[in-house]
Amino acid sequence: MSAVVSPIREPLITGSKTYHDITEDICAPTERAPGLAWTIAMALAVGGLATFAFSVFWTVYFGIGTWDLNRTIGWGWDITNFVWWIGIGHAGTLISAILLLFRQKWRTGVNRAAEAMTIFAVICAGQFPLIHMGRIWLAFFIFPYPNTRGPLWVNFNSPLLWDVFAISTYFTVSLLFWYTGLVPDFATLRDRSTGMRRKVYNFLSFGWTGSAKHWQRFESLSLILAGLATPLVLSVHTIVSFDFATSIIPGWHTTIFPPYFVAGAIFSGFAMVLTLMLIARKVLKLEDYITIEHIESMNKVILLTGSIVGTAYLTELFISWYSGYIYEQFAFFNRALGPYWWSYFGMMACNVLSPQIFWFKSMRRNIFVTFFMSIFINIGMWFERFVIIATTLARDYLPSSWSYYVPTWVEIGIFVGSLGLFFVLFLLFTRVAPVVAIAEVKSILKSSGDQYRGKNAVPHHHHAHDDHGHH
Amino acid sequence: MDKFKFEGGQRTLFLGMIAVGLVSMVLTFFADDALHTRFWTNYLHNTIFFLGISFALLFAYCAFTLAYAGWFVNFKRIWEAYAQFLLVALILMLPLIGGLWMGYHHLYHWNVPEDVATDPVLYGKSGFLNKWWYTLGTLIVVGVWYLCASRIRSLSLAEDNGGGASNNFAEYASIKKWSGILMFFGAFSSAAMIWQWLMSLDAHWYSTMYAWYSTASFFVAGLSLTIITIIYLKGKGYLETLDGNHLHDIGKYLFAFSIFWTYLWFDQYMLIWYANNGEETVYFQTRIQQYPVLFYGNLLINFVMPFFVLMRNSVKRKHGIMMFAAIILFFGHWWDVFMMVKPGALHTAHEALAQGHGGGHGHEAGFTPGFTLPGLLEIGTFIGFLGLFMYVGFSHLSRAALTPANDPYLQESMHHEVI
Repeated sequence: MSAVVSPIREPLITGSKTYHDITEDICAPTERAPGLAWTIAMALAVGGLATFAFSVFWTVYFGIGTWDLNRTIGWGWDITNFVWWIGIGHAGTLISAILLLFRQKWRTGVNRAAEAMTIFAVICAGQFPLIHMGRIWLAFFIFPYPNTRGPLWVNFNSPLLWDVFAISTYFTVSLLFWYTGLVPDFATLRDRSTGMRRKVYNFLSFGWTGSAKHWQRFESLSLILAGLATPLVLSVHTIVSFDFATSIIPGWHTTIFPPYFVAGAIFSGFAMVLTLMLIARKVLKLEDYITIEHIESMNKVILLTGSIVGTAYLTELFISWYSGYIYEQFAFFNRALGPYWWSYFGMMACNVLSPQIFWFKSMRRNIFVTFFMSIFINIGMWFERFVIIATTLARDYLPSSWSYYVPTWVEIGIFVGSLGLFFVLFLLFTRVAPVVAIAEVKSILKSSGDQYRGKNAVPHHHHAHDDHGHH
Repeated sequence: MDKFKFEGGQRTLFLGMIAVGLVSMVLTFFADDALHTRFWTNYLHNTIFFLGISFALLFAYCAFTLAYAGWFVNFKRIWEAYAQFLLVALILMLPLIGGLWMGYHHLYHWNVPEDVATDPVLYGKSGFLNKWWYTLGTLIVVGVWYLCASRIRSLSLAEDNGGGASNNFAEYASIKKWSGILMFFGAFSSAAMIWQWLMSLDAHWYSTMYAWYSTASFFVAGLSLTIITIIYLKGKGYLETLDGNHLHDIGKYLFAFSIFWTYLWFDQYMLIWYANNGEETVYFQTRIQQYPVLFYGNLLINFVMPFFVLMRNSVKRKHGIMMFAAIILFFGHWWDVFMMVKPGALHTAHEALAQGHGGGHGHEAGFTPGFTLPGLLEIGTFIGFLGLFMYVGFSHLSRAALTPANDPYLQESMHHEVI
């Protein structure tokens, strides 16, 4: 850790915390009975989960006919939701892996919750292709293994199969990464607890003692997993984009899709991290660890990825005209001015125009603005997928089969319910694991604590050589 | 020893390189077809290559600044100096623009009014592919880029003289503003100009990925040139505070963006291959069948080599092997841009020449020197442009200290440590 820090860099831990304070503050939420806010939120989330279970049961029992998909529009809310959730599941690994490789210190405040969110979002995403199969009990057909079904075998040429591999790999590595980071923190919880709780955390922490050898292995493993996870972050949404771009549907078949989908995924993932963290820091009293500096940095990522997405929208729009290909030109004319024009304008307003306010520092540091923007972007990115999927399919080559698609209550129930599933998992997570990575935050205290840096710094001693003190 | 001295020997070398370039260009011009296609494609190729490098480095400089990056501060003057080449690049673009109006080159099929009138595809694009857009776009877009580059440079120099902490880092705050302007303006304008300059050489073909793909190529070339410069300057005793840690991080960028370039290459190629749509596959079909060495060599040099050479951590701190990788990659991306320029322009020229001679030979040639592969004249032209770029870059570099003494992040950069 470099101990020399620029005079204009703001502290990342406020409140003059000691190492002991950090342990106390972050462990506390898991050690006390849940508060009212948590209970109400959990009740709502369980309600959502029940809606999800019921709607899925309805779909499986009566069949996909209970959705409003039709001959023209074979993908509706289901795949929209799938792509939306998968996109959200990108920020966590980006924060963990790429920001670790870049040695970004602000990563430590938000990586734990972001990784957890990633895993839960991927779980939610995974539901949709399964449900969409209709006969969910045959879902194991997607795995290529020796079987007695004769010629009925997976299609290795299909990007939908690549999705199976990409997402399951991504999920596995993300889970490993998250869990690796949790091991020392579980050990901290173990050391503070007694009885059954102690036994459970003892099991979960794999006998971590905090010896130098353990830390050394921990660091090497983190670096290796970061190296593995970085290409995986790109691969997942790249392959999701292939689901569309390998086809010859105008509006889907375009070469910019892979990087543009990845940028959009990071964009929506950071928006969801902000939504969750702005609430969590308040409810769990973590304002000293998830500071305005963290929020500002995340807003910069939002601005960057939002602008990349915006550039891609303009590129697509322009090249559709440039191509001279009438079907391509019509696809974009239809997106912007066809029957689903409102979703196109919603997408443009939420994803491209409104994030531009983050060019201004005061906006990046404004919590209310950030919260509203994060919701906006979540909505906008859902619209983006809806625009790409439903709008394009509604007006295909044959005007005789043109159609308009409106979801049924079952489809809406599954989507709203999947939010319930997500929040149940997230709320449980805040109860059983430290929401901020204790060990990692401690590692930046001497270089980024506000008693050492910034306006409130205690001036008289030299901290540059204190780094080897006992924690 | 913080002020770089542009020595007489270096000047002579670069002027010699420019002379080699001029001789090569003159020879090319007189040993050319009736349209001077080889000469003009070489001119376009090298102008855009170095223009692209200076833009990519400027863009990265601005992105780093806005991200509050500290580590790159003790070599940021190199990027500032190289970005100043944009003005020279703008001047170098003028003969190309002039050719559109006066017809002394025949690079762009869309600039032939008779063909545009009869070809529905070209006609459909004529709202964008025309000499007005090309002229005004180039002048305004590159002009604004250069404006940002020169403002940033002078603010950075002003910081040295009584700026910095004593001035509440006011210059640094202004650099951030100009960086924001460049990034906001540069993101789409660079794509639009790349479509004009390069993609429209294959006037019927299009790919939405194209601009990002070529920008990645320019950036890798720029990083390579940065590494070459740093190692050279260190060898001369400059950049004392820059050590293996910095080189390691630039090496990571070189590795990461080589992989990123490959990623974009693969996406573009695979999606076109998969959809198997004739209007799109023709681009790669031509290159695979008529330019196989260029096509496969591109992947070998720009993907396989860096993938294996730069993978290990320790390699990124070794001067010798980093110099080797950077030189190969610099040449490799020049090779990549060569392949963006040549096949389309040759096809256009063949069609025009065939018309001029009342039909006759088609446009699939066998081995065409200077097109199928870069020949000695291409290498000579390349050396000339490189000499010009280095001359301009080093003269800017020599006008100020190599280390921005009052930069707020300088201390972080000097103590940068990659564990």
